[in-house]
Parts: sequence; C-alpha cells; structure tokens
Amino acid sequence: MATIEAPAPTVRERVRPEWLENIGGQLLALVAALVIALLLGSLIILAYGESPAAVYGAILTFSFGSRDGFGYVISIATPLIFSALAVAVCFKGGMFNIGVEGQYLVGMVAAAWAALKLDFLPGPLLMWVTIVFGMLGAVAFALVPAVLKVRTGAHEVVTTIMMNGIAISLVAWAINGPLHFTQQLAGFNINLRTDPFKANARIPDLGHRFGIPDSAHLSWLFPMALVTAAIVWFVLKRMRLGYEARAVGASAGSAQAGGISIGSVQIKLFILSGALAGLVGMQQLLADKGYLPVQYEAALGFTGIAVAFLGQNSPLGIVLAAVLWGVLARGETAVQIDTDVPREFVIILQGILIISVVVTYQLAQRRLLARQLRKAATVEGIGDSAAAVDIEGLAKEDR
Amino acid sequence: MALGDIGAAIGIAFTYFTIIYLTGLGGLFSERSGIVNIGLEGMMIVGTVTGSWGAHHFTLPPPDGLGWGLPWGPIMGLLIGMLAGATFATIHALATVTFRVDHIVSGVVINLVAVGLARFLSTIFFGQATQSDPGQPHMNPVSIPLLSSIPWGLGRAFQQLSPMVVVAMLLVFPVSFALYRTRWGLRLRSCGENPEAARSLGVRVAPLRYEGVLLSGALAGLAGAYLAVEVAYSWGEGQTQGLGFIALAALILSNWNPVRLMVASFVFGFAQAIPLRLGDAPVFRLIPDQFVRMTPYVVTIVVLAGFVGKVRPPAAAGKAYEGATT
Repeated sequence: MATIEAPAPTVRERVRPEWLENIGGQLLALVAALVIALLLGSLIILAYGESPAAVYGAILTFSFGSRDGFGYVISIATPLIFSALAVAVCFKGGMFNIGVEGQYLVGMVAAAWAALKLDFLPGPLLMWVTIVFGMLGAVAFALVPAVLKVRTGAHEVVTTIMMNGIAISLVAWAINGPLHFTQQLAGFNINLRTDPFKANARIPDLGHRFGIPDSAHLSWLFPMALVTAAIVWFVLKRMRLGYEARAVGASAGSAQAGGISIGSVQIKLFILSGALAGLVGMQQLLADKGYLPVQYEAALGFTGIAVAFLGQNSPLGIVLAAVLWGVLARGETAVQIDTDVPREFVIILQGILIISVVVTYQLAQRRLLARQLRKAATVEGIGDSAAAVDIEGLAKEDR
Repeated sequence: MALGDIGAAIGIAFTYFTIIYLTGLGGLFSERSGIVNIGLEGMMIVGTVTGSWGAHHFTLPPPDGLGWGLPWGPIMGLLIGMLAGATFATIHALATVTFRVDHIVSGVVINLVAVGLARFLSTIFFGQATQSDPGQPHMNPVSIPLLSSIPWGLGRAFQQLSPMVVVAMLLVFPVSFALYRTRWGLRLRSCGENPEAARSLGVRVAPLRYEGVLLSGALAGLAGAYLAVEVAYSWGEGQTQGLGFIALAALILSNWNPVRLMVASFVFGFAQAIPLRLGDAPVFRLIPDQFVRMTPYVVTIVVLAGFVGKVRPPAAAGKAYEGATT
C-alpha cells in the first residue's frame, strides 16, 4: 500500500462516514469475488469450447426469462434464507453454529411427528402447530451445544459438528421406527418414508396466483421467509439482544465489563438460531413433499453457511444471496440443456464464488482495520509511536 | 452370536480403523501445526473420486520387467488420491495461512466445495456424476500369520485384510518418530503451541503450517482412496458417510496423540462394525442400529464437556498468526 508513507489522513478520508466505508468495502469485496468467480468459470467454459457469454446467458435466461423459472428460483432460495439467517444470528454474537444442518433435520422429525400424530387439529391450526414443533425440535437440539458452551466451555464448533452426526442417525431411526409408514400397498415397493400428511398440514401454494405451476412448489413460506428476515434485522439492529450480541461478538471481555451476561446472550442467540433452523426443512416437508422421505434434501444447513457469507451476515444481503444461489442452482439444468458444459460446472462456480468471497472479505476487513488504526493514531497525534508501527505491520501483510 | 461373528466384526473394524486413523493422522499434523482442519471430510471425498480414477486408469501393467509383480492399478489409485488430497488441501492452507481466513470458515467451505468438485471430476472421469463402474481392481487381501489361525473363529479378524490396514497400523511408528524425535516435529508442534515464541527462535511458521495442512490433505486423500479402491472397489457419492467427522472426534479424544489416536480409531471403527455384524447379539438387539452409530459423537461431546477425562488442544490451533508470512 502506497499510503503508508503519508500517515496524515487526506481530507477525503475524514469526511467519509464509517458506515459508508464499511458498506463500500463489503460491496467492493463482493464485486471482486463475483468477478474472480466469473473469470475462473469462463476459463472452464472455454476449456469445453463454449462461449462464456452463452453459458452465463443461458443460466440467467433460465431463471429470469420466464415466470416459471423465477418461481423455481424462489422456492430453492426459501430454505436457504432461513438457514443463512440461523447462521448469521450466531455469527453476530461471535459464535459459529455449524449445527444448523443437524438442527433442521431434527426439526423435520419433530414437525413430521406433529403433522402425523396431531392430525385431529382442525384447518390451518395443524399447519401452524407443525411448524412450531419443527422450530421447537430444532431449538431443543440447538440448546445442547449452547448450554454445554456456557456451562462447561465446550467449543460450539466441535459440539455442533458432533450433533450433526447424531441428527443424521436420529432421522434414520425415526423413519425406520416410530414414523415408519403404515400405508404400504401389497406388492408395491416404495422408498422408505413417513405416511403422507393431511392436506391441512401443508403450507398453501402461492405460485398459482402468479401463473407459476404447482411443480415449482412456491408457497406462502417465501413471504414468511421475507418477514422472518425483517424480524431478524429488527432484533439485531433495534433490540437490546442485537446490541448485546454485537458487544459480545466484538469483545466478550468488554461486554462483560459493561454488565452484559455473556452466557445468557449466547443461549438466547442459540435459541433464536435454532428456531430459524427449524424452519429450514419446512419447504421440502410442507410445501413440496408432504411427507418426510428417507432421501430428504440434505446439506441445506451447510449451504446456508455459504449463503450467509455471500450475504455478509446481513438479512437483506442474505435474501439476495439466497436468490443468487437459487439462480445458480436452477442454472444447472440450463447448462445441461443448452450447452456442452456438464451441469456440475455450476457447483464448481458456486465453490469458486464462496472461496473468493471468504478471501476478499477477509482482505477488505483487514484494510478497514488498518485504516481505522491509522486514523486513531493521527487523531491522537502519535503518528510515530506504537499504533503506527502496528499499522505498518498490518499494511505490510496486506501486500 | 458366535465368537466367529466377533472375529468378523473385528475384521470390519480394522477396515474402518484404517479410514479413521489415516484421516485422523491428517488432522493431527494440521492441528499440531496450529491450523484447525474440519475440512477432513472434504479432503477424503476428493481422495475417493481421484483414487478410484487412478485404479481404473492404470490397470494395464507397466512394460515387462518394470511391474515387479505389484498391483499397480490400486497402488497408483492410492497415490493419486493422496496427491489430489494434498492439492485440494492447498486451498485450505492458502486461505488460513496466507490470507488468515478463519480456520472454521475455510474448513466448512472445503467440505462444501469437495462435494461439487467430486461430482464435476466424476463426469470427466467416469462420464456420470455420482458413481463409477463397479468392480475395480484392488490389491490381493492378506492374512496375518499366526494371528489369523486363532481358533474359535476369532482368527477371522486377521484374515483377508487389505495390505493398507497393515500399512496404517505401522504408520504409528514413523509418525511418532517424526513428531517427537525430529527437529521438524518439534518445530511443527511449537507452531501449534506458541507461534510467536517459535518465530523468535527462528522457526519459520508459515511454511511449517503449509506442510502440516498439505500432509493432512495427503493422509485424508489416502484414506478416501483406500475407501474407494480397497473397500468399495468403486466410487460412489456419499461414500465417506461422515467418517471424516468421526476421525475428528477420534482426534479430539486422543488428545492429539498418534498412539492414543490408534485406540480411539479402533474403538470408533468397532462401533461402526457393530450394526453390520453384531446387530443380532442380545445386547445390541435392544438398541436400534442408529443409536449405536451415533456413539462416537455422543462420547466426544461427553468428553468435550469435561464430564469424563480431559482434552487439551494445541494452544494456538485456530488462531491466526499475525507474524510474517515467510
């Protein structure tokens, strides 16, 4: 960086407000990552003798060219919004909930149990109770690592990884045991699953109102996801929990000195995160399948982590990132139909995108930190002292 | 249940032991150098698909006189899986050591990317995304002398084992020696305990951490290749079944020690074998298979919570080292 030689801040830097600097840096990092991913992707496309413009164009038209396409994109995005929000909530408090994966699996089991065993409930009540059970199941599962973290100091990353392993076995046990289907017709060999839910347990379809076919499974869950994102934004930005979470995430020691009970904040965040995780499975359970299959769609929790990075942990960013992820996922089919590039190219593109986002975001953060330190040093008039040395160290590493 | 079943279960446990132990050793090198590696599962996945391709591709024996009668297909498969694992691990090393991305973040990304990469490679290698043709060449199984003739059927545990099982067991010696008896090992461990102190004594932290992470990729890749080449005789999506995470669990329980890791890997390997071979035994009939399968995870949580025993990870593992990168 050339600016090290001139420690005095320029006037331009002083008038730029901090929030703008933050957002500017984040956007720049995001754009840089997108450009890197598209360029590297182009290399792969060229290797297959196709034109990058044609392939990327095919992906975009497949999603935005028709109402149907966009309907599919949105129903892919819906569960990802929930799982990315679940990850982001813990992130704000400086914790990493890798267990969203396991939490939503257990949420699906709890919801399936409610939908099957409480089917005497009338009308839409059954649907709401099912959803609440899904959330409660996930919260219960999330509480184990949370309580262990607060009480014994066991690191949430390792415990949630282990809980994920437990969850996979739990689902298998539930589908083989207590929730095993009872309505198999003689002579029919169907895949292992639970019994189908009653119609009033399912989330009503929304897509047909816009002329989107039922096969897209665009349901009222998507507006619910948007509302949830707004609620999470409100909680994190405008409520006390959000403030405390940010304080704990920034510096647990200072937060405690400021009178915040770290443990209770961490547990509250995990409860919120678990509740959000419980909603992840509802798209496939209540909007799509209407039963819990043994070949359920897995890895939504892990993908949610990627979407949370892409959206840089802000609720609005997450919604947009989830839609982008949906566009790419939907684009797999486009690539397969319209080009000679294998559909798996898109998964590679997603992978490159995520790696570049993680790296560019990290670099942007370091730059920001270096700039803030430099500013602090000049304000206090200690340009040559310890703080300035720190900056030089940081800036040197950025090169 | 006969003793023969126990013998057979132990034999299966040896197979799982090999996968868990190799992968766990990978994690050991990485974390001892200070880089947390939860991407072991992903590195294994890359090892499975590339290893399977290697075994497929090199079926023709080398020209006369150069084959030495060795099964080159499987051997090349294992080596290629190892190489691919190390190459893939370079991403983790670059991200964590050079760019100082959070180790957990990078590990999660590694696992996510591996699944897609495996499918992509599979379309190139095998023309289909989720599996290779079954029935690949593999090494001739061996029986351990003396042990394989233990009566009452217990000898079955030591019959028809892949040579890789023996290799994995013997690995404990070079690994322990390298880690505790060489200058390189001391330096590697010092990077994981106190990189600042290591640096002040002239140890170059970043290259050693690269070595740790690449070694971990190589070992996890080897484990994956073993699984595809020597156990399943083909590649299939989802083949690793979370064994990378079980290896992580074994690593934690072993307190990052290669000898104890052997014990933990074997115990967890046996837990995997129970539903397959001892499901009818009186004790296990009462417990659903799925609960037996989750024991490694439950045990690890219990130990982590400090209810039983105590584990201490390398002190600096997971922390970015803010010193010079060279």
